Amino acid sequence: MTFSRRDGSEKVVVDSIHGDIHLREREVRVIDTASFQRLRKLKQLAMAQMVYPTATVTRFAHSIGALGTMIRILDAAERNGVKFEQEQEENLRLAALLHDVGHYPYSHLMEKLDKVVLTEEAVESPTRPVTAIDAGKSKYPEHEEVGALIVTNQDDLIKALGGKGRAKTVADIFTRSQVDPQLSKLIHSGFDIDRCDYLLRDSYATGVPYGQIDINYLLNNLKVSQDKVVGFKDKALAALEHFLLARFFMHRVVYYHKTTFGLEEACRQLLKRLRDRDGENYEVPSDREEVEKIVKSERLNTFTDAFVDNVVQKATTDEDAIIRALASSIQNRRPPVLLKEVPVCEETESRYHAGKMFTQNCVTRLNGLAEESKIPLKQFLLCEPKVDVLKRQQGETYGQMAKLSQEDIRKRAIEEEGEDIKVFKGDEDEPTSLMDIDYSLVVKYAKYSLQLFRLYVVYEGEDKDDVIVRLRDRVKDWDKA
Amino acid sequence: MDRQQIGVKLTIDALKLSFQIDGFMDRLIMQKAVYLAQAAGVNLGYYYHWYLHGPYSPSLTRDEFAVAMDISAGMDESKGWKLDDKSSQRLEEMRGLFAGAEADRDELAKKLELLASVHFLIDRKQASKADASRITATLRLFDKPFSEKDVMNALGELTRYDLLPA
Repeated sequence: MTFSRRDGSEKVVVDSIHGDIHLREREVRVIDTASFQRLRKLKQLAMAQMVYPTATVTRFAHSIGALGTMIRILDAAERNGVKFEQEQEENLRLAALLHDVGHYPYSHLMEKLDKVVLTEEAVESPTRPVTAIDAGKSKYPEHEEVGALIVTNQDDLIKALGGKGRAKTVADIFTRSQVDPQLSKLIHSGFDIDRCDYLLRDSYATGVPYGQIDINYLLNNLKVSQDKVVGFKDKALAALEHFLLARFFMHRVVYYHKTTFGLEEACRQLLKRLRDRDGENYEVPSDREEVEKIVKSERLNTFTDAFVDNVVQKATTDEDAIIRALASSIQNRRPPVLLKEVPVCEETESRYHAGKMFTQNCVTRLNGLAEESKIPLKQFLLCEPKVDVLKRQQGETYGQMAKLSQEDIRKRAIEEEGEDIKVFKGDEDEPTSLMDIDYSLVVKYAKYSLQLFRLYVVYEGEDKDDVIVRLRDRVKDWDKA
Repeated sequence: MDRQQIGVKLTIDALKLSFQIDGFMDRLIMQKAVYLAQAAGVNLGYYYHWYLHGPYSPSLTRDEFAVAMDISAGMDESKGWKLDDKSSQRLEEMRGLFAGAEADRDELAKKLELLASVHFLIDRKQASKADASRITATLRLFDKPFSEKDVMNALGELTRYDLLPA
């Protein structure tokens, strides 16, 4: 399959998902930098390979795929008579290529350390003091910001991009700092090149079919208005709805798989404990400034999954028993055991309470359970992964708006910032919001989200099987009052 | 609630704003208030992009809804937590920015949108503090009705509250 036209292209990449992708000279120069090659050492699916052995696809492959998707959007724009200036088009292609260049080792796992609440901070105890949120301490920057730092500070990328000015422009596009209203409309439209590629790629890599969206039909039915708003012809509605629901099912089956998520939660707690303790932290960066130093220097090339793997390996012989237990669980693939899961996929608050009741019971009873079972409290992991049935381009969700009326969702919430998935009805030149298509199945399910209230334990004693049976029996009714 | 969400709830409380997200203006106020708090040195960890109404953080929107859901379910998990003293003091100092306008939510939203937008354009080096006319022109590209005088006033206020260097 030829994915993009030969238009003065320097090289062709043969991609397992999209077929041939023709690269221009500058794109080849960017790809050949050490800063970009680092993406080969970041697994797209973090720890999913602990469950799906072939889930070893990299951010590098995904980034090339994102460029391929952008090329097809630009082709669609041109077919619709919307022409970008050559420099603008080149910058958009480069921004797609570089959109993930700032990912941390194990991606979101490390990026979101500042969100982690440790078990002992969550549960009630007579001796627990009021805990301080240290907002005076800088937080890890989000990966897009890290990407901008890399693109505007790493000499190899600046040179490949043709100078600091160009580097800043490209970074401004993928960090959405760009204040050109025309580009804003294109980039902020609900069509998401990132998701388009990762669903297919993750699905292919894991062997789980739910991400197999009808990409060709979608891209062939892209339409761009004269105002540069991207939408779909209405005949592609079914493919569009499938595209929107695919993310939900991939989360349910792959990203939130109980074993994968348990291992990732153990790793989050391990890194957080190491980062914030006094003493040896195995070079886990302490704050934003430390991250900035790494990504602006030659150390960037070592800031890969292997960085975390090394931390985990060293931590298996740490003097702290909790650190050792968490690290060994990951290192030896002895995943945390799921004691109970309360899945909630409802919009009503009564059902929402079932999950919250479980959390509340964990908060009040977990200390007692830890003492009774003689397993340290810190080896219990409490978490609440959540996925909305629908999610928009950059993370705002429909499901979060569950408390609004349907009318509110249509009239105000979805139009939050003027971006939405758009559909061109019939021969109309101006698109309408997907949310205004009342026969759309996904619109009707827009209010729903799935939240998985989970309690894990990290335990490796010889009596493990018996202990787990006893613990499961003790917590089996914790979702009830 | 996770740590970041607890931080947001405590920040909004410290600014004496109500944690309201029902309408677009309510969410806009929340977005811009957190933006300005971060500009004042209260590190909550949100990264802002430029949208049609100025700086906007999708991650914050997600967290606002999560917090609101918890509160509506009667579970305010921010109890038992507090902000560090320095951040609390900084928020106390900037409360004047919100004073008087709380009663008129639309007016407050408009004011905060201007303050946050002007700060963003300067902070991300899209514009210089000395060039109020360019900032005004950029805002007009997005159909914002702010005059050059409004922008000058915003620059003065941001400087007075130490959100921009003098």
